[in-house]
Amino acid sequence: MIRFDNVSKIYKDDYVALENINLEINPGEFVSIVGTSGAGKSTILKLIYAEEAPTEGQVFFGEKSLDSISRKHISEHRRSIGTVFQDFKLLNKKTAFENVAYALEVCGISKAEILEDVPQILEIVGLGDRQHKFPHELSGGEQQRVAMARALIHKPTVIIADEPTGNLDPTSSLEIMQLLLKINKLGTTVILASHDKEIVNKAAKRVIVLERGRIICDDAKGKYKVC
Amino acid sequence: MLLTLGRTIKSGWVNFYRNGYLSVAAVSVMLLCLFTVSSLYIIVLTADNILQNMQEKVNISVYFKASVSEEAILNAKKNLDNFSEIKSVEYITKEQALENFKKNSATEPVILQSLEEIGENPLLSYLVIQANNANQYDLVGEYLQNASFKDEISRVNYGKNKEIIDRLNGIVAEVRKIGLGIAGLFSIISLLIISNTVRITIYTHRKEVEVMRLVGASNNYIRLPFIFEGIIYGFVASVISTLLLFIVLKTSQRFTTHLIPSVNLVSLYLSNLLVIFGMQILIGAFLGTLSSWFAIRKYLKI
Repeated sequence: MIRFDNVSKIYKDDYVALENINLEINPGEFVSIVGTSGAGKSTILKLIYAEEAPTEGQVFFGEKSLDSISRKHISEHRRSIGTVFQDFKLLNKKTAFENVAYALEVCGISKAEILEDVPQILEIVGLGDRQHKFPHELSGGEQQRVAMARALIHKPTVIIADEPTGNLDPTSSLEIMQLLLKINKLGTTVILASHDKEIVNKAAKRVIVLERGRIICDDAKGKYKVC
Repeated sequence: MLLTLGRTIKSGWVNFYRNGYLSVAAVSVMLLCLFTVSSLYIIVLTADNILQNMQEKVNISVYFKASVSEEAILNAKKNLDNFSEIKSVEYITKEQALENFKKNSATEPVILQSLEEIGENPLLSYLVIQANNANQYDLVGEYLQNASFKDEISRVNYGKNKEIIDRLNGIVAEVRKIGLGIAGLFSIISLLIISNTVRITIYTHRKEVEVMRLVGASNNYIRLPFIFEGIIYGFVASVISTLLLFIVLKTSQRFTTHLIPSVNLVSLYLSNLLVIFGMQILIGAFLGTLSSWFAIRKYLKI
């Protein structure tokens, strides 16, 4: 469902972030992308949610090349992808409930639907009783779960998680990881970028290793390793 | 669609009052711009009014020789009445002329006395010609020189106001030009400052904009609150400017009626209130929209 065809990404000053990437991710897969900082993990993810455009090659989402999506329709493309980040990217002046509701509001969903869907999803991520807390009143793990709820609210086909456990303690990291595996079990494709060895090994799913913008390993039942 | 509009207007309004000091700065600049433009408008309006008043006072008087019969004068009047450039022709008989003269000289007994000494009416009958436009007096004068009754004319008095009117006409044209220039300049300045203000607002909201983009908000949904914020700047500034202008005119009324007795500035302002207010709203909203549009462009690429 996601395919990279000879994709290269060269930033300003001739900095090569990705070089000649060929990659296919199938529906329902759980893929971990690992590698050191600057290996190109985040760039791969950005290309998928169309925050960046490839310098060479094409990225396909479903049958469509992302090149062919007009700027106007990029927002619709993003609604089919849920994103989770290391720094959570929550709005500090909004409660957990409002943060999740916000993702629906911007898409023009009615208030009635928001009142129905948001508590449900917060219940799923285990925050049913903390809906009306502000981010600063929540722990790191809880904040990340709010972000997960926000990513899931559109019922996306793909969840992209960029170092979701980077700021969390081991216990919270494990909880987030379990949540991701649970989401994947329910049929959602999960793409995880991480350099947390333990987390990746625990998942025991497909692992893609990146080094200096190239794929050097792609194992279906992989472990975190340096090839 | 309506839901989006409602939500974006609300969020623009929230931005406006939460920005406090920034909003005050933007509104102040806009106010300065609108106040200047509408003051210039009032000045041009006043000048136009004075010009019109004076134009009504300008005329040409054609004095006929004492020997010319009343019938001949009325014929000449009929002749002149046919001109499209001429607004009115009034016939003043000798007797009327004398009466007017006596009235005007009532305070000067010496003149009245000398009149009595002459014994007969020394004044001539004349026609008072008013043209539609001050520029047309030259044409009328030319016609009089070649008219069929030119031999019956004793003399022609060109209104003494004509020169003043010509000069005033020139001044009004200049004022218009300068006004337009100043208005343009102020518009550009406020455009720059407001777009800077909105840019700072967007900068303080950049995290929000980033999240909006990530959760799939359309560009319009991100843009509209900032555009509405700009429109609100324009609206608030035009309301304040309209009130301020009224207060300034009202408090200076004593002084201005003394200076320009023929024009009542306050009633002139009130009778043009809709135009002035509407013009300001339009300019304000336009400037606000344009500057927000420029400011947000940078944050919406990709």
